[in-house]
Parts: sequence; C-alpha cells; structure tokens
Amino acid sequence: MLRQDHYKTSVYKTPFHERTSELNILNEWTRWKDYTVSTSYFRTDLEYFAVRNTTGVIDYTPMVKQKITGPDAAEFVNRFFTRDMNKIAVGRVGYVVWCDEAGQVLDDGTVFHVRENEYWLLCVERQLDNLGNSAVGFDVKIEEITDEVACLGVQGPTSCSILKAIGFDAIEHLKPFDIKHYDFQGQEVMVSRTGFSGDLGYEVCMPNDVALNLWDELFDKGEIYGIKPFGLDALDLVRIEAGLLVPGQDFMVAEEAIRPGSTRSPFELGLSWLVDLSKPVFNGREALLEEKKRGSRYTFVKLNINGNKPAEGAYLYNQSGKKIGNVTSAMFSPSAKANIAFATLHDPWKKGKDKIIAEIYYQKDLEWNKVMEEATIVTKPFFDPDRKRTTPAELY
Amino acid sequence: MTRKNKKIAIIGAGHNSLVCAAYLAKAGFSVNVYETRSDVGGMASTRELAEGYKVPGAAHLLHQVDSKIHKSLKLDKHGLAYVASGLKTISINPNGNALVFDDDNITGDDITLREQEQYKEFRKTMKKLAGFFKKAYQKAPPRLGSEERRDLSNLMSLGWNLRSMGKDSMRLMLKFIAVNIHDVLNEYFDHEHIKGSIALDALLGNRLGPRTNNSSITYLHQLTGDLNGVQGSYGIPEGGMSSYSDSLQKAAESAGVNIHTNSPIKQIDLDAENKIRGLVLESGETIEADVVVSGIDPRSTFMCLVGPKHLESHYVHKISNIRMRGNTSKLHLALSGLPKFKGVDKEDLGNRIINAPNMKYLELAHDFTKYGEYSDQLPMEIIIPSIHDKTLAPKGHHVLSAIVNNTAYHLKDGWEQSKPVVLENCLNQLEEMAPGIRKLILHAELLSPKDFENEYGITGGHWHQGELTFDQFLMLRPIPGMAQYTSPIESLYLCGAGSHPGGGLMGLAGRNAANEILSRES
Repeated sequence: MLRQDHYKTSVYKTPFHERTSELNILNEWTRWKDYTVSTSYFRTDLEYFAVRNTTGVIDYTPMVKQKITGPDAAEFVNRFFTRDMNKIAVGRVGYVVWCDEAGQVLDDGTVFHVRENEYWLLCVERQLDNLGNSAVGFDVKIEEITDEVACLGVQGPTSCSILKAIGFDAIEHLKPFDIKHYDFQGQEVMVSRTGFSGDLGYEVCMPNDVALNLWDELFDKGEIYGIKPFGLDALDLVRIEAGLLVPGQDFMVAEEAIRPGSTRSPFELGLSWLVDLSKPVFNGREALLEEKKRGSRYTFVKLNINGNKPAEGAYLYNQSGKKIGNVTSAMFSPSAKANIAFATLHDPWKKGKDKIIAEIYYQKDLEWNKVMEEATIVTKPFFDPDRKRTTPAELY
Repeated sequence: MTRKNKKIAIIGAGHNSLVCAAYLAKAGFSVNVYETRSDVGGMASTRELAEGYKVPGAAHLLHQVDSKIHKSLKLDKHGLAYVASGLKTISINPNGNALVFDDDNITGDDITLREQEQYKEFRKTMKKLAGFFKKAYQKAPPRLGSEERRDLSNLMSLGWNLRSMGKDSMRLMLKFIAVNIHDVLNEYFDHEHIKGSIALDALLGNRLGPRTNNSSITYLHQLTGDLNGVQGSYGIPEGGMSSYSDSLQKAAESAGVNIHTNSPIKQIDLDAENKIRGLVLESGETIEADVVVSGIDPRSTFMCLVGPKHLESHYVHKISNIRMRGNTSKLHLALSGLPKFKGVDKEDLGNRIINAPNMKYLELAHDFTKYGEYSDQLPMEIIIPSIHDKTLAPKGHHVLSAIVNNTAYHLKDGWEQSKPVVLENCLNQLEEMAPGIRKLILHAELLSPKDFENEYGITGGHWHQGELTFDQFLMLRPIPGMAQYTSPIESLYLCGAGSHPGGGLMGLAGRNAANEILSRES
C-alpha cells in the first residue's frame, strides 16, 4: 500500500532522513519520485573515492519496488520480461528490461526472486499499470511496496567486512546476485550482493522501523572501515564506470517519448543478452523478431575519448563530418584514467570503417571552447575489479 | 508439405466457417470442422419453439448472401432457394397508418410525391456509397505501414475506389464515416416516420442510438448486401433459415469437408514453442492439425481457447476491449392463427414488419440501454415466416419471429429477473400493434443476449461478434494488427464475423479468410 498523505507535504522524507540530513553538510537535495534525497553530502569526488576505496552508503529508498506473488508468478515474469526468467533461481537477482508492443524499452531494473512464487521488481519508473495490464489471465497479486521498504546500497571494497561486523554471518559467501535474509533486531532484512557501483557491494532492504538502527549500526561498526555516505552525483560517476544505463538519460522511457524514433529497443541499447527470442512469448517479442530481420536503427557503444574533457551531450561525427550519433553519459574516470562515455550511433556510421569524432564544448574562465576528439569503442566495462566477483568476498 | 497433407481444423460450423471450409477443401486441403451444437449454421439455424413449431434461431432474413459465394459454391444446387424475396418493409404506426417501403419506393402514411422523390434520391446516394464497402469487403484489408506488394495494392485499390466515386460522393463518404444517422436523415427528410424506419436499419443488431456517432456506417453496411442481384433486398429461404446453412454444409461436404457436431472444443493445443499442435475437445480427445481456423468470436478464441498466457499482453488488452456487448434479443411466438396488424393488409403480412415510429423513439430506447435498463417501448423487426413456409407450424397455425433491439447484455437487475418483464412488455407492445394477438399465443419465448452467449458461445451475445462501427472496421477489425484473418499464433486464423467485413450472412469473412490461408499455407 502506498502512502496516502502526500497532500500534506510536497516530498516525503525517507526513513533515513534523520541521519542523512545530519550528514548532508552541503544541504544539497533533489526530488526522486516522491522523496527527497541527497545529491551530495560533503564533496562528490570524495564520496566517489569512498565507494572506490573503502565503502559508500547510499539511501535508495525512492527506487520503485513492486512485489509480484502468486502461483503464476514465475510464468508471469517470464512473459513480462524479455530474458529467460526460469534461469533466475530462488534466492537470485537478475538484471532485466521490458518492452512495449513495439519492442521498445519501457524501463530497466532488477528482479529479486525472493522466495518460491515471490518476485520483487526494483526500477526507476512506476510499473503498476504495465504489470497490471499484463496480469490478465495470471493468478498473481501485484503491489507496490516502495513506501514500506527502506533500502541502502552499501558499496565498496570494505562493504563485506562492515556487514559482517553488524552481524550478517557468512555474508562473504554470497555470490554476486545472491540473496540472503537476516534477522536484524527481530525483523527480517534482505541482503543481496548487488549494486550500481560495478564493485564489491551489497543492497540491504529492510522494514522502515529498523532503518535508523541499521544505519547507526553500519556507521558505528563501519567507522574503522572508512564508511561514508554518498549522494546521487557520486552514484552517477560509479555507474558510468560500471557500464550501467539510466532510463531518462541513456534512453527514453518508451511511454514518455513523444517523437517516433526516440525510443530504443534492447538491441539498440547493447542489451541483446537480456533478450531470449527462443522464449515462445513475451511482451515485445513479435516486434523484436521483426527488428532482428530488418536490422536495428541504433547502436549503443561505450567510448574511450582522447583528451580529458568530458564529452557530456557531445555530437558525434564520422571522418567526413556527417553526424553519426550523440553521447548520453560522460565523465573523466579517475579509476580507469580515461575520458569515457556512453553513446548511441546511427546511420551513416559503418562499424569498423568509420571514425568516431566527438565535438566537445568546455568552459575556460567563462569562455566556451571546442575540441574535436577522436574516440574508440570499448567493449569491456571501464571499471571491472576482480573483487567484484571473488567469492568468498574479501574481508579486512 | 503439400496442401493435401496439411490438416486444417475449423472451430465452429457457422456460415462463415462452412464457407471457409468449402473453399479450403476445394483447394485440396484436408478440412475438419468441429461444432459444439448438434446442428450446423450457428445463428443461421432453425430452432424448435415447441413441438410442431419451428422458428429461425437467430437471424430470420437473408439479405447479404454474397453472390460470388452463392455461385462458386453452387448453393442453388445444394438446395438454397427462396420462398420469398424482394420483401417489402412495412413500418407500422400506432394510428394504423403504415408506411410501406418497396425497394426504392415508399407509400402510405400521408407520403407526398416530394418525399417519394427524396427517398429515391437518398437510396441512390446511399447505394453508391455502400458500393465502396461492397468492393472493400471482397478482400482482406491492407496492413497499414506494411511495404508488402499485396498490402500496398489493397491500400491503393481502397483509395482508388474512394477516388473513383467522384468528388461529391467522396466527400459524402468521408462525412459518413463518422456522422450519426440522425443528422444524415434530418438532412434528407422531414417525415418523422420515414426517418425512424430508415434509422432502425442502421441500429438493428448494434448498440447504438440514432444520435450515436458511427451509426451511418452501419446503415451502409446493411445496404452492401444484395439478394438475387437486388441491392438491400430481403428474402426468406425455403425450409427455414437452416436451409441456408444446410446448403453451405452440403457444399462443404461435397468438397470433402468432414463436419463433426456435438464436439465442443476445450482449447487450441499449442506446443512449448507456441506452435499449433491441433485441438483438444471437451471430451479429452486431441485432434492433430497443422492449421487451426476459428469461426467463433475473437475474444472467445483468444481469451478462452488460446489463453492470455500465450499472447503478448497488448493483444490481451486489445482483445479484451473489443466492443461487443450485445443489445439484441429475439422474440418467438407460436400462434393459433394469423394475427392482424394495424394498417397491414392480410396479403402483406408475409413481409418485414418494423416498429420504429420516429427517431426519438429509437433514441429513448437507447437511453435505457446506456444505463442498463430497458424501455417498455422497444424497436422491433417482425416476420411471420410460416406464411411462406408451411413446414414451420401446424396447418392454420403460425410462428412469429421478432428481433427486439435495445435489450442490453448487462442489465442492472440481471436477465434472470428482467426477462419475464421484458417479454411481457414486448407482448403488450405487440398487442398494441396487432390487437388480439395475445389471445392467439400458444407458446412464447424471449432469447436475451445472455441466452445467445450461452447458446451460440458468442461473447456478450453480440450478433456481429463485435460492433460494426468504424473503430472496428476494415483494417481495425477485430483489432489493429490482426485484420488479415491472421493471429499472433502462427497458423491460427480467424474466419468469423469478428473479422472484416463483419456480420450479416454474407460469408465474406469466411471466403476472404480462405484466400488468406491459401496464400500463406500453400
């Protein structure tokens, strides 16, 4: 059940607000769905380095959370999402996208196979209507639990040690994308080895009433492990290095797009691995089969761009000056020591033949300068440490 | 695989299924038809009202049998003959002054010469417009956005047919697509009784009032039909309505079709890859088939026999939202003698008698429908088929068959409770029109849209398997993206009235579907 008191306030405070507002010495906040959350607590680059070198904690309670339960839950998710959901066993998490009837991506998210006949979908946009429309004929119950569950991302090399220190036994044995339930002060919390950082990290979902206590425990036991809160700005940096897309930035949510051609199929976002066309039926399958036959309009690429000027919003040209695409996310990556970007390419770009040249604007003492920098396509994630995968996870 | 090896299973033995089966068998396929009921013909069948009294089960007049189908399936040879054709329409009047429509002529009810001319002019114009649809009905509608040659040529011919009507007709056509029959008739006529009578033709079988948008196109649809070459003419087949179906059955069987009655189907059998395996009967028997064709309505086909789990959710959503709430009931009476209708000569009783005194009457009846209620003044189309066909009732006795419009599928009080009241209302209305008729009644029954749903398996009891309005017309019928008789399931086709060009007893959906299947499965 969603909260009903929205008319009393323009934004909700998350269950962690008492603590996050103390730590947010910059007082920088932004609205995320119905909630207010920190964009930056003390300095974005230091928050970033906390995630990369020790542990960062992010309050991601506003992430939309939907619970799907019932005897047909497995069949239902398999018809709703493009990938083969039978491969996501109980106690596992999977990255997913889902499509409209034209095979265009509605959103991406993670599905938690929490228990037999119970799935949680965590994503950016509310999906109750899409899930509900898709539920005709299935014995499932779909509810949104965003306001009932508080969530923290605990990300970074020392994250496992901290969670172990607050009493999550044997947590180091969780494999990437594993889920484990723990008792915390008499309440069940769900810990998964997942996250947006591309590093070792965990996500903790808990009932609202233990939220503050868990936060306090984390920061108490975590102090010697260098725990720091991090905001959405730092999150945006780590997720680009990790190669993770954000709807509304790297692609238009199909339902919100106004212009034809501004939406993307999973193939056009480099997410073919999430599409299993051998499944007999799923939403968007017919259109995606057709796209396979006819070819896609766009190609998603990760770029390594010469120079050190972030190519945010840059237009991309080929060697003859024809526009062949644009950058959707960009940063100078301190960890990869490279000028990196996500981009979408289109005609007349020819793979392997055309150069990719970014038109980058940057400011120097209020004056705008422009450079044209050549870029190369990168196929591996920009940041991909072994400790992300190592099980048991590293303990300090 | 050659045609001869391909097994086709057809669901339902309504007239469209039989037409489709006959064409497919003629082309060399092995065709089996499975029907839940004990007889073929679906809604074009004969029903026993009481011992010795037979009535048309649903449809009671033939007026749209496609002449090409008639000819190529040799329906004459297979027993289709008319005991009456070119029936007049007699629109009765509470004051006894009936209006008589005989093809393009009208007489009675103080009609002036000018009004007679107006009617001729109106019919000429309408028939010309209906001609556009008549051509469009002969083939599968084009797929919009498709670049295939056939779709482009179909789209072009649709455009060309419109263009070649001439500027004035083209303009009229564009207007007619959306406008309501109320406004159209007010443009042409002043005489309320004429307007009411014509409007009924647009509304019968649909859930519309004269002022509802889209109610003109249904009039044109009704005019597309012809009987023995006379456009918009009505007839009664010899031996009752079932003899139309019987002739189709014989045509199909002589082409090699096997028809299995009393064989209700439980589901369309799909394998793990969503490919057609055949059918599963209620009895548990499985039927292997390479191709399955459904003559029943699209919603039953996909929501019940295929199941929503086998379809992408947008199809489920669209199919669930096809407008197909029935609005039409059927009144059957066994009479101990011939009734006398006010203002109708005895020798004219064999014609089509309608009760639609004016457009306001029809609109008010529709107002009740909108709110799940019913008026005690309902529009009707009445025939006494036993006048033409002595086999339907014992000597000297008669049966009366009336289509009663504006009886909503969803009634606030439910049909179980409402039915005796609606029946009583209808009988009172009839007593008004034909004083003394109640004394002649031996047996009476009312079949509601709920009864049609139960009896014939049509969702909502809608006679046309879906409203015949422009949002469900041509390439939008039954839903966008499924208008070429195909479906999201490979080798599963539709051939019923739920597909283009819709209801009536044309058989065109069946024949067009057969053509589509021939081109895709050969």
